[in-house]
Amino acid sequence: MKGSTTLAKRRQRASAICAAVFLAPVIILMLVYFVYPIVATFANSLTRWNGISPEKIFVGSYNWNKLIHDAKFWKAFGNNIKVMAISLIVQMPIGILLATFLDAGGKKFNIFKIIWFLPLLMSSVAVGYLFHYALATNSGIFTAISELFGGGKIDLLGNQGTALYAVIGVICWQFIPFYMVYYMAGYSSIDESLYEAAIVDGATRTQYVTKIALPMLVPTIKSAIVLSITGSLKYFDLVYVMTGGGPGESTELMATYMYKESFSKYNMGYGSSIAGGMFILITLIAGVTMYVMNRNKED
Amino acid sequence: MKKKVIAAIMAAAMVVTSLTACGGKKPTVPADAAGSAEAGSVEAGASDAAAPAASTGDDKTISFWNIATDEPDKTIWSYAVDQYNANDSAASGYTIDQVPTVNDQYKQKLSVAMSAGECPDVYLHWTGGPMREYIKSGYAQDITAIVDELGLRDKYNEAALEQCTVDGKIYALPVKNQSVAVVFYDKKMWQEKGYEIPKTIDELEALCDKMKADGITPFALANSAQWTGSMYYCYLVARYGGSEVITDAYNQSGSLVNDATKYAGDKISEWVTKGYFPDGVNSLSPDNGEDRALLYQGAGMMLHGSWQVASIKSENPDFYENLGAFPFPQVSESSADQTAVLGTLGDNFLSFNCTGDKLKEAVKMVAYYASDEWKQLDIDNGNLPPLKGATSEEPAWKDIIGIIENASSVQLWWDQYLPSSVAEVHKSSTQKLFDNSESSEDVAKEQQDALDEYFTENSGS
Repeated sequence: MKGSTTLAKRRQRASAICAAVFLAPVIILMLVYFVYPIVATFANSLTRWNGISPEKIFVGSYNWNKLIHDAKFWKAFGNNIKVMAISLIVQMPIGILLATFLDAGGKKFNIFKIIWFLPLLMSSVAVGYLFHYALATNSGIFTAISELFGGGKIDLLGNQGTALYAVIGVICWQFIPFYMVYYMAGYSSIDESLYEAAIVDGATRTQYVTKIALPMLVPTIKSAIVLSITGSLKYFDLVYVMTGGGPGESTELMATYMYKESFSKYNMGYGSSIAGGMFILITLIAGVTMYVMNRNKED
Repeated sequence: MKKKVIAAIMAAAMVVTSLTACGGKKPTVPADAAGSAEAGSVEAGASDAAAPAASTGDDKTISFWNIATDEPDKTIWSYAVDQYNANDSAASGYTIDQVPTVNDQYKQKLSVAMSAGECPDVYLHWTGGPMREYIKSGYAQDITAIVDELGLRDKYNEAALEQCTVDGKIYALPVKNQSVAVVFYDKKMWQEKGYEIPKTIDELEALCDKMKADGITPFALANSAQWTGSMYYCYLVARYGGSEVITDAYNQSGSLVNDATKYAGDKISEWVTKGYFPDGVNSLSPDNGEDRALLYQGAGMMLHGSWQVASIKSENPDFYENLGAFPFPQVSESSADQTAVLGTLGDNFLSFNCTGDKLKEAVKMVAYYASDEWKQLDIDNGNLPPLKGATSEEPAWKDIIGIIENASSVQLWWDQYLPSSVAEVHKSSTQKLFDNSESSEDVAKEQQDALDEYFTENSGS
């Protein structure tokens, strides 16, 4: 009835509908859980609001002024930077080493693969409690070792000088497996024939890794670095479980500070500006990092 | 066509789950058409104009939120709900829908529900700072008239009702327990070692020195939660300067930077230096009962809330047999009232977010928590209800009741009494006394600054 073009048109229309149907859930999810919260956070940051009242009082830039002059926020930011720096220094090399080891070993090292992957399978809250006991001053691992050699008790989490580093250690323990798997995936995407060609050309295994595999892994490393930076700047759960930001403010991170302001102190307006500040700082740092890394590539 | 339907259903389902995740109650936005429902959910979240959702009479279900997820709380809390639904429902047409939530998540769930305009009709809280926020936001109704009409005033402890009263109006009813901070000790161990109950701080210090010489850690304290250590601070302040120190500061007629807070801070620092507290005190967690564990392992004494009696009874019945309690020692050189106790008379409180008949029926339901039968049930489960004539035969409770009866006044724990923003600062700053990382003056100043900031920010509105 409609002639010979119908089939093509129908096909076009069908694929348009199909695309819409497949995209709609993602777009709706993005709008509801991503775009709307960000917009709402910035809107709330301009108000004084206790988080429960239907009434929000518009206070303009008051919260942002307060944020810029808030020593506690900047201390928390400093702690985040420490977490970020140590995470990069510790997690990246160990992750690459483990991945290289497993990649070289093949199937016979599967047992290591499983054991090393275990920490990532546990929930952060479980890891937090586990290490709360493992690092405990009374009967914890370090105290037990110290007492074995005639030393005193070691208080890692209750000491303002060491608490942050103890927590960072646990964060590394938890996330090294993630980067290990990430780099393993990077290795497996390198074509087998490159390895064969290198060996045929007389390269040793070490030469293959340092001269061929690692350079080819650079894009993976770059994205891992960005992941690690953003991850450690917005870190929350383990710290909240293990120390709650204490003792004092020694392990306070931006995210735990935001949580406390919003939900414990009922300052949802100010909490929102902390969240907004985090958003800006993290975007800035991640953006600069990506820019610097990509610029080097073009040189 | 089929795909469209599926898409619409999926979108609607997503909107519904996102709403219920916030509200915990049936969403008010109909999720019929995918597109409009999605827009609706955004509006519902963002709307500033949503009226303080005190629901009126058209809904015949009274939603009731509490934290009774475990025994014996389940039995204690279900009593009034069951009684009301069995005896009064038929006549009034209302039924009670009880929604228990795990304690840890409760406060946050309640805040989220309130911000979404989905506040339950009856809900549990702990008075103090948060209750004032609820009242300010219009989520707690004045029930003074109904309390008088039902003759409930005679049933409750006066001091307990006082804790529910703001500006002469009653906004809540006390329910579960009278919790006061007392010093627990092991009677048997103390008898064997020849320790005497210290009446004054000087005697307490002498006792602590003796304990140290015997190789015993004097205080069983787990201070990662911060409010546990804060009890020492609050008591020392109250003993030296009286309860007025904190009430004056809150009424803006005094400052927290004074001799009393200096005395308290310096005492704690001194005790820390002398090793009266366990190693790693700031990393031990009271949520895991690490302070009780220290007491079982032979620490000297434990300053804690009286709810510990029930925990110790179920956790360590052998230890419980010798459990004793005494009031916090006195500062002999002070002229302040030396019998005041730190605590809360009710522990759990209920406020109402409904009006008219529904409010009256809700209060009637809660009035079952003031009946003689419930009183006995509560006592049998190891509590001391905030009702007149409540007693207990348990030996540890006899000590505690003696302390309460002897007390001239009850000072609510600072972290509940102060506005929430100041309470957090109070907790984190006093924690720094326990590793000697901040001086008593700085701790006091930090708290006063937080109070000042609170008043500046809230003076305009």
